[in-house]
Amino acid sequence: MRNLLQHLMKRIISLLITLFIITAVLYATVMFTPAETRATLFMPKNTSPRMTEQQYQAMLNRMIEKYHLNDPYPVQYYYWVSSLLQGNWGYSPVLQENILSAIIARTPATAELALFSILLFIPLGIISGVIAGSRQHKASDHGFRITAFIATSLPSFILALILLSFFYVDLHWFAPGRATSSISNVINSQDFRLYTGMYTIDGLLNGRPDVTLDALRHLAMPVFTLAIAHWATLGRITRATMVEEMQQDYVTAARARGLSDNRIVWGHTLRNAASPALTSSILSATSLLTGVYVVEILFNINGISSVAVSSMAFIPDASAALGFGIYNVILVWFLMLILDVAQSLIDPRIREAV
Amino acid sequence: MRTSLRFFSRWQNWLGLLLVSMFVVVAIAAPLLSPNVPEDPSAQKAIGRVTRLEPQPPSTEAPLGTTASQYSVYHALVWGSRSALVFGLMVTIFSAFIGILVGTTSAYFGGFINSLLMRISDAFLSFPIIAGVVLVQQIVTSILYDAGVAFMRVGGTFPGSKGVFFIPENLSAFLTWLQQADPVPVAFILFSWMPYARLMNTGVLRLKNTEYVEAARVAGVKNSRIIFRHLIPNSIAPVIVMAAKDVGGMVLLQTTFTFIGLGGNSPWGELLALGRDWIISAGGIFTYWWVFMPATVALLLFGIGWNLLGDGLNDALNPRTQTLKY
Repeated sequence: MRNLLQHLMKRIISLLITLFIITAVLYATVMFTPAETRATLFMPKNTSPRMTEQQYQAMLNRMIEKYHLNDPYPVQYYYWVSSLLQGNWGYSPVLQENILSAIIARTPATAELALFSILLFIPLGIISGVIAGSRQHKASDHGFRITAFIATSLPSFILALILLSFFYVDLHWFAPGRATSSISNVINSQDFRLYTGMYTIDGLLNGRPDVTLDALRHLAMPVFTLAIAHWATLGRITRATMVEEMQQDYVTAARARGLSDNRIVWGHTLRNAASPALTSSILSATSLLTGVYVVEILFNINGISSVAVSSMAFIPDASAALGFGIYNVILVWFLMLILDVAQSLIDPRIREAV
Repeated sequence: MRTSLRFFSRWQNWLGLLLVSMFVVVAIAAPLLSPNVPEDPSAQKAIGRVTRLEPQPPSTEAPLGTTASQYSVYHALVWGSRSALVFGLMVTIFSAFIGILVGTTSAYFGGFINSLLMRISDAFLSFPIIAGVVLVQQIVTSILYDAGVAFMRVGGTFPGSKGVFFIPENLSAFLTWLQQADPVPVAFILFSWMPYARLMNTGVLRLKNTEYVEAARVAGVKNSRIIFRHLIPNSIAPVIVMAAKDVGGMVLLQTTFTFIGLGGNSPWGELLALGRDWIISAGGIFTYWWVFMPATVALLLFGIGWNLLGDGLNDALNPRTQTLKY
């Protein structure tokens, strides 16, 4: 328990250092833009979207005055970080609201997608990697290798096109978006309470299994698209370490003692092989997050990715750019933490050593 | 000699080399394979009336048919290979260069510089590339907006739709360049050098206290000479392997970004984005196969080719490390 706390402390400190470096770099890059762009970073939270051009301009000028936006970099950086810490992440002219509340409101959709995919690809990746690795050069091994190779080479949007064409247009099994319109009426109605913002869980909490089912129907394709590439990578690495692990002396010793192959694979080698594979997943948490956003856009899910999409509107929006970046660094940290916990569940050495 | 023998010992390496050379040949011979229209040298060549929406099957004019709005699939495929190759090589070479620079200096000088630079590279590692694209895009937009450049989307906001820029008359040369430049490769370079730095860092750290480097230092060889003659050449192999695999990965990512409308200007991505609504229609993949298949196959082969080439280079350059033979 104490080890766990220490580990958490270490992680928090490294997050703080990372955040410091990232914010310093981010603000240095916006120094290239005119002061008016930076002024939106300091606009109060309750900025009304219904301002006339003159009022808006006057407000920008007041911000430039108040937060010393024509002063050198360190002064501005100081003001910006203090306003960040006070929870004011700036006003986004494109989204027409405070960027932090805009991102937080969109987080549950993203979190739901990411969590379901992680829950799917970690067990499946490890299990299929272990099976393939313990039966090297057999049919199941070849089958896994070919499938995984194709899965890693196939870009997610191609898979999305195929899935949409078959399962949405032809078969009507699944659909893009987050909910059918009749179900979103239920969700938006007064007596449906949003506890987590994740429709699958909220449906159960409200005693409406139809909402959960509908949400799952909409999640199926994006979760599959997202999970498949990561399943393949995780499985391939697990397989490679498994092949090595099967040649270790302790496996020979266990065989000599007459243990069944199943017992050796699932009881002994699994933990040793899965742990390094999960480490690689932890290291690729950023690409997992990029993948989540891509899949969101492909399947029309109104998650955090909509901030990225709206940034293509060619309207200067420093709040969106910086807010999106910082929020992502925190999300990556959370993802790493989740994968960390998964790893410590599998590998007792890490559980004790952390 | 031994190196090349090791490379050619596996058929996968042959295949990788073959696929990559195929794309190189197509990229170089693009003007011969599909001549450009002099007035509009872009990768999308319109055959017939642009207002006609439905994709047309292969004909003599468009050997692989046309996508929506009558852009030739074959033309985009050929010129897309050139664009993909240039993009992939440029991004990986630049990011590998930054990575080598950072990794080597931090390892060679060690101590505070090492921990500082590695901290910075760790911080960049937790910054998703899509956020980098948003950032660079926004910086460019702000600067241009301030100079009076305005932008309007025409023909809806579907992926791949083009926009129109309204450019003030006396725009400086730099801003004109900025307006035409694509922010995506810049973002890719800025946010993908870290793994190279890490690899280089471990390599140089391992080497710098070996006896022969020590001997060189005692003999009075200059820092720069030790770095460029001994440390870099002896620890660059894993970087080259990674770079080869990255060329494919970067292009796949670029195509994805173009497809979802986040920039990138990949002709292959534009091709699929234009045909998107026709592919996602009843039996669309089979009815409009020429919209879907050519670009998909090209993309797959490009990724597979560079991946196999990377594995092959690993066989050739790092014989001691056992390849993870998937």
